[in-house]
Amino acid sequence: MKTDGLRMWDRCLLLGMTAWLGMATPAAAYIAYVSNEKSNTVTVIDTSSWTVTKTIKVGQRPRGIEFTRDGKFVFVAVGDDDSIQVIDVAKQEVVDTLPSGPDPELFALDAEGKILYVANENDNTVTIIDVEKRTRLGEIQVGVEPEGMAISPDGKTLINTSETTNMAHFIDTATRQIVANVLVDARPRFVEFKRDNSEVWISSEIGGTVSIIDPAKRTVIDKITFNIPGLRSEAIQPVGISMTKDGKTAFIALGPANRVAVVDTATRKVTKYLLVGQRVWHLAFTPDEKYLMVTNGVSNDVSVIDVAAQKVIKTIQVGELPWGITIAAP
Amino acid sequence: MRYRTTIAAWLVVTATFGCAQAADPRYPDWPCAQAKVPEISLAAVWAGPPLDDVAGKWKEDATVGSLVAKLAARRTPLEEAQQAITDYLKGAADKTRSGKLLFSGLFDTLNGQRSQVMNGLERITRKQREAADKIRADTIALQALQGEASRDQAKVDELSNVLVWQTRIFEDRHRVIKFVCEVPTAIDQRLFALGRAIQQEIE
Repeated sequence: MKTDGLRMWDRCLLLGMTAWLGMATPAAAYIAYVSNEKSNTVTVIDTSSWTVTKTIKVGQRPRGIEFTRDGKFVFVAVGDDDSIQVIDVAKQEVVDTLPSGPDPELFALDAEGKILYVANENDNTVTIIDVEKRTRLGEIQVGVEPEGMAISPDGKTLINTSETTNMAHFIDTATRQIVANVLVDARPRFVEFKRDNSEVWISSEIGGTVSIIDPAKRTVIDKITFNIPGLRSEAIQPVGISMTKDGKTAFIALGPANRVAVVDTATRKVTKYLLVGQRVWHLAFTPDEKYLMVTNGVSNDVSVIDVAAQKVIKTIQVGELPWGITIAAP
Repeated sequence: MRYRTTIAAWLVVTATFGCAQAADPRYPDWPCAQAKVPEISLAAVWAGPPLDDVAGKWKEDATVGSLVAKLAARRTPLEEAQQAITDYLKGAADKTRSGKLLFSGLFDTLNGQRSQVMNGLERITRKQREAADKIRADTIALQALQGEASRDQAKVDELSNVLVWQTRIFEDRHRVIKFVCEVPTAIDQRLFALGRAIQQEIE
């Protein structure tokens, strides 16, 4: 009797679990926001159906784009309007503006989501913004055409790259002073820290390489190069970098090579090149890391990569000149 | 007024040429923000079967030749071009071979057009550099004329008039360059889209 009752319970639990799991599947869907530099819009994509659910009008020349830590808002840098716009995710419209410097391009949010560091391409500065008060806290002078921005996992260092000066500027977030400059190859575009803070990866669009920097010593310790048979070396222009949370695999967007390189971070060698759309620049993982979405600026679409299978499974048409992408749970 | 001319001319030249240093040392005359890729590699736009066995043969086929000309022309809307590809390959005896011939022709033609545009951009950049030097020299000469104790007003007027025109031409060309910089990318886009349509048909 007792055992039967238990079995009943088991069955009920199992049934309940199955039902719960069944319901949980659609809840695991995410939303992706894509900035379209030329059409002055942001495309919203539902990752459960891989369809466009909304196109939001934003300011002029949207590029850098990122969710706030609570997932309620999306920041988008609108370069030709010299500001950062705030999109309310529930309302799916622009509701506020943050003050940046002229021509903001990319930005980094600190771990708490309270301070935003913005690279202003046109006046060689990084603007520091208090997100809650919507005010400017200060500015840091950096090299010519600042772009790449990343904060170290411990929050102590901000790295900014300058496209024309070809440098990675190491900035102390407490004193807001540059503490080191590391020379990399021509036109650095993007910075990615390993989660354990052991390495910083920086892409050089014209140099065609990714430099690996030891953040403690602040020196270049290795360089990743790319070679795709049948492709001119000039077409290999590394820009976006995304690393898995375990730090084992990196995906690097190679611009007009129309490919994403898969790199084993232990050997620092490319293991595979995935053919995506034209002029691939930026990438973002879904929070469960099952998929990687990449923006193809010339073919005006987004490719979806199955991370485990390392295969492109889908192409989604978006606006004109898709640039940045950010993904979060709804 | 005269001073304004010299200052304006000087500003235009330094503003446009001061910042526009070539980012890529391999191509000092390349004026565009987009990094230069001198020609499209087949591997960047074609993931279909190898084209080695049909290289150059598209020219021998009159139907393919005229279709290539039609599809390559940017005045043919992309949707119309894609439809023409579908229609042509539906009626083909050997779909794969016809598709390969067609893409081979489009690749050669559009790559050729793209190279011409890129060479033109570099040629006009060199011209602009010469024009900038001339404007700088004339500005200095004008300032010298204006500074003379017994200045020749007719000469001053003539030279400042020349400067105004030179500056205007310089600015117009600068705008045209910015516009033409988009053309190689537009060609890349077209070739990729047409290639994708052909691949879908022969798959």
